[in-house]
Amino acid sequence: MKKLIALLLTAALLLSLTALAEDQTTRITLWHSMSEEAGALMEGYVRQFNDTIGREQGIVVEAVYQGAYTDAVAKMNSVLTVKQFDMLPDVMQLDATGKVSYAAAETAYTVDAALTDHPEADLSTLLKPAMANWQLSGVQLGLPFATSTTVTYYNKTALDQAGASAPETLADIGALAGLAQDGVTVYASIPNTPTLANWLGQLGSDLVDRHNGTEGTATKLDCLDNGALLAFLTEWKALYQTGALVNQNGSSDEFVAGRQLIMTSSSSSVTSLLSRIGGAFELGVAAYPRVNETASAGATVSGSCVVMFDHGDARKNAAWAFVQYLTGAEVQADFARGTGYLPSNSAAADSDTWRALIGEYPQYELGLTQLIQTPDTMRSVTVGPAADFYYGIINDISDMLEQDLSPEETVELMADDLNGMLSQYLRANP
Amino acid sequence: MRTNRIRRAKDRALGIVGLLAGCLILFPVFYGVMGAFKSPAEFIAYPPTVFSKSFGYFKNFETVFTQVPMLRYFLNSLIVAGMSTAVRLALAVLAAYAFVFYRFRGRKLLFFLLLGTMMIPADTLTITNYQTVSHLRLLDTYLGMGIVFFVGASQMFMLRQHFMAAPTSVREAALLDGCGDGRFILSILVPMSGPLLTTLFLQSFITVWNAYLWPLLVTNGNDMRTVQVGVTMLTTIEGTNYETVLAGATVAMLPAIALFLIMRRYLSRAMSGGALIT
Amino acid sequence: MSMYVGGKAGRGAKRLERAKPYLFLLPMIVFAVGFVYYPFLKTALQSFSNVNFRGETTGFSGLENYRYLFSRREFGIAVRNTLKLTLINVPVTLALTLLMAWLGSRRRFLGPVYETMFALPMVISMSAITLVFKVLLNPSVGFVNYALGLRIGWYEDRHTAMSGILLLTVWMGLGFNFLLFQSAFKAIPDDLLGSARLEGAGPVRILLQIQLPLISPTILYVLCTNMIQAMMTSGPILILTQGGPSRSTITMIYLMYTSGYSSSNYSLAAAVSMIAFLMTLLFTLLLFLMEKRRVHYQ
Repeated sequence: MKKLIALLLTAALLLSLTALAEDQTTRITLWHSMSEEAGALMEGYVRQFNDTIGREQGIVVEAVYQGAYTDAVAKMNSVLTVKQFDMLPDVMQLDATGKVSYAAAETAYTVDAALTDHPEADLSTLLKPAMANWQLSGVQLGLPFATSTTVTYYNKTALDQAGASAPETLADIGALAGLAQDGVTVYASIPNTPTLANWLGQLGSDLVDRHNGTEGTATKLDCLDNGALLAFLTEWKALYQTGALVNQNGSSDEFVAGRQLIMTSSSSSVTSLLSRIGGAFELGVAAYPRVNETASAGATVSGSCVVMFDHGDARKNAAWAFVQYLTGAEVQADFARGTGYLPSNSAAADSDTWRALIGEYPQYELGLTQLIQTPDTMRSVTVGPAADFYYGIINDISDMLEQDLSPEETVELMADDLNGMLSQYLRANP
Repeated sequence: MRTNRIRRAKDRALGIVGLLAGCLILFPVFYGVMGAFKSPAEFIAYPPTVFSKSFGYFKNFETVFTQVPMLRYFLNSLIVAGMSTAVRLALAVLAAYAFVFYRFRGRKLLFFLLLGTMMIPADTLTITNYQTVSHLRLLDTYLGMGIVFFVGASQMFMLRQHFMAAPTSVREAALLDGCGDGRFILSILVPMSGPLLTTLFLQSFITVWNAYLWPLLVTNGNDMRTVQVGVTMLTTIEGTNYETVLAGATVAMLPAIALFLIMRRYLSRAMSGGALIT
Repeated sequence: MSMYVGGKAGRGAKRLERAKPYLFLLPMIVFAVGFVYYPFLKTALQSFSNVNFRGETTGFSGLENYRYLFSRREFGIAVRNTLKLTLINVPVTLALTLLMAWLGSRRRFLGPVYETMFALPMVISMSAITLVFKVLLNPSVGFVNYALGLRIGWYEDRHTAMSGILLLTVWMGLGFNFLLFQSAFKAIPDDLLGSARLEGAGPVRILLQIQLPLISPTILYVLCTNMIQAMMTSGPILILTQGGPSRSTITMIYLMYTSGYSSSNYSLAAAVSMIAFLMTLLFTLLLFLMEKRRVHYQ
C-alpha cells in the first residue's frame, strides 16, 4: 500500500513538473458539454485555434468534456463551494441552468468586464436575441455559442397525403386528430419550463416574475392574475381531448419511424433528423405552434453560451481571444452546418457556408427566421430550483390530463407547487 | 434400477430447466452485446431482431474507441477499482480480526459503529465528501477517486462471520509457536479465507468499477475519467444512436464478465467450502 | 492469552496487547468517521438549516425544511413509490434467488453451466444494463414488445414505468443473492439431508423444515441488504424515467437528487435523506426483531 501511494505521489509530482516546464505559452482550459458529432467539431475548433491564432499569440487551449450541461454546472457549483477557484477552467460552455451560480462566482470574468479591458471589441454582429439570453440583471455573462430555438417538425409526406398544411396553432394540430390511427400518433409533448414559457410569452405573459428571473431572483409565478396560464391550459386540455395529443414526451424515434407526425423540438435536431429519416419521408419544419389565433408567434432562445473565469491577466486575455474565435463567423457557420444549431453571428448567416446549406436544405432556415421574429420581451426562464421546477411543470400538466383535472384546478395546483419551490429557494438564498 | 433411472431423468429435467432459466436471465446481456454489432439501419428495421445479421460490423466499437480515449479510461478504472478494493479488504480483514480474536472495551459499540455505515446511503454524502476530498487536494487523483470506497462494512461483517468459524485453538497454537498477529493473519487467516476473499474482492471491484457519479465529480481532466463515465459520453440528449450506446455498454460489461469467468473457479471453491455462510 | 510474555517487558507488552485491537480497528474507523459519519452529521445539521445554492449554511431554520418537505406532493408520492418498490422487489428477489439457489444446491446435469449464468448478473454495471433495458423495452425498436406482441411504452407510460424499473432492479439483484444462498445451501451437512430422506421426507418438506431454517441467517442478511438497496433506488430512475411519467417513478433518493442537488436545494436534499435514513433504520430494526424470534442459528 505504502509503495502504491508513493508511486502515485511520484507520478502526480512528475505530471505537475512537466506542466511547469513549459512556460512562455499561456495554457487555458475549456470545459465543454458537446458529445458525438458536436463534440468532434468542438475538439476540431480547439485544434484549429491552437494551430492558428494560438500559435501566433502563444496560447494553447485544452478542451475537456465535462458531461452534460447539468453535470458541468454541478461541478462548477461544487468547485465554487470549496472556493478552489484554480480548479475552474478559463472558458466554460454553460447552459441556462448555470447562469445564477456563474453570475455569483467570485472569479467570473463576465463579458461586461472583458469589454472594459478590450473596449475595441466589436460584438455588434452577434445575434441580439441570443445575446439577450445570456444576460442576468443587466450584466452580459457570456457570448452565445450553441444557439437554438424550438420549432415544429412535421411529416410533410403524410400531411400532404391527408391534404393538410403545416399546423400553425394548437387548434390546427387538434384538427389533424383524424390521422391518429393504430400505431400512429399525431403529436406527443409535455410542456416543461422553456416550452411553457414560450407559450405564455406568446400570450404576452412571463412565467415567473422579475422578467422571467432575468432581472433578479424570481419570487413567484407571473402568469396567474393575467389569466395566461389558464388560457394555455384550457387550449392544451382541449387539444388532448381531440385525441391528437399524446401525453408523453415527443420521441424522435417514433417521428423518424413515421409513427408520430408532429414533433416540437430544438432547431438543432435538424441535421440528425435529416440523416436518420434518410429519404423515408419529407421533413417539414414550421414555426413553433401558437397557443391560439390571437397569440403572437415565436419561441425563446435555448442552447448554451461560453463564459470566462479570471485566472490572471495573461489567461484572461487568452480566454477572451478564444471566446471571440468560438463565436466568430467562421466557427459559427461551420458549427451550424455540422449540427443544426443556428449561427449566433449574423456574419455567419451571411457566409457562403450557410447560404449553400439553406440552398440545399431549406429546413435549416426557419429557426433563424423565427428567432429574429420573436418579440424581445420574450425571455427564457431563470429560476433557482431549476430541475425541480422543470419536473414540477411536467408532472402537474400531465396530471391535468391523466387525472382529468380542470384547467382551473391545475392552475391552483401549479401555483401551490411552483410558488412553494420559489419561496423555499428564496428562504435559503436571501 | 428403476428408481435410479427416474432419478436420472428428473436430474436431467431440472438441469434443462436451470439452463433455460439461465438463458432467460442472461438474455438482456446477450441482446445488448448483439445490438452492439448492428448497423443503424438494422436497428431501426421492423421487426426488431436479436441476432445481428451483420456480425462483424465493428463500426460501433470503432466509434466508441475513437470518440473517447477508451483505453485510458480502462486503465483508470482498473487502477481505481484495484487500489480501493485492496485497501478496503485490508481494512476489513484487520477489523474483523480484532473483533473475532480480541475482547476489549467498546467492542460491541465499535462493531455497530462500523456496521452502521451500511445504513447510510452513500448518495447522500456526495457533496460533503467532495468538499473533504477537495480540501485534501485530492481532486483529479486516483486516491481521491478511491478514498470513499475504503470502508466496506459488509465485507468486514462477512469476514468476521468466517473468522468466527476458525477454531480458536488454531490461533492459540499459532501464537504459542511465536507467530505474531501479522504473520497469523497473512500466513493462516488469509489463505484460509482465500475463496471468500476472492469473492469479496470480485464484488468490491465490480462495485467500484461500476461507480458513476463520484468519479465524474472528482475528476476534471479527460485523462482521469473512468469507463462508466466514458460510456455515458456516448449518449446524447437525443439518445438515438442505440447501437453506439450498446457498443459502449458492451465495452463496459465485457471486462467484468471476463474477470468473473476467470475467477469463477475460485468462486465455486468458495461455494463448496461454504465460505459465504453469514 | 499472552502467557508466554513475562518479565520486565511484561507491563509494556500487556499495554501493547491491550491497545492492539484498537490499532487494528483504527484505519477502518478513521475512514468510516471521515467519509461516512462526518458527512452524515453534516447532512443532519443541514436538514435543520438554510443552505444556499453553493452548499454554504446561511442560518438555522428549525423544522422549516421538514415542514416544506411534508407539504410537497412529490414527497408523499416518493415515499409511496419507494415502499412499493421495496415491498415488491425484496420478496420477489428473495423467492427467485432461493429457487435458483435450490436448483444449484446439488450437483446436477448442466449445473456448472447454469450456475455460472445465474451468478453473472452480479458483475454487470448498473449504467450498462440500464442502457440495455432502455433499448430492450423501447416501444419502437425494442425486442420485448415485439416478442410479446405488446405495444407498451414501458418507461413512457405511468402504469407500466414502475414495473419496468422493478424488472430491472430485480434483475440486478439476482447474481449476488443467488451466490449467497447457494453457498448457504451447500453448507448444510449432507448427512442431515440424507437421514431426512431416509425417513421419507419429500424435497418440499426438506426445504421447508430443514434447509430454509438452517439458512435463515443468510436469508436475514439478504433481506437486510436488499431492503436497504431497494430503499435507495435512484440510478435507473435517473437514467431511464426522471421520475416520470406523471411522478410514477419518483423515489426518495431520486427526489433528493432533483429537488436537492440539481436544484441547488441542499437543505431539502438533507431533509429527504434523513427521512430515507430513518425509514431504512426502522425497517432494519424490524427485521432484527424478527430475527430474534425466527432465525435459527446452529
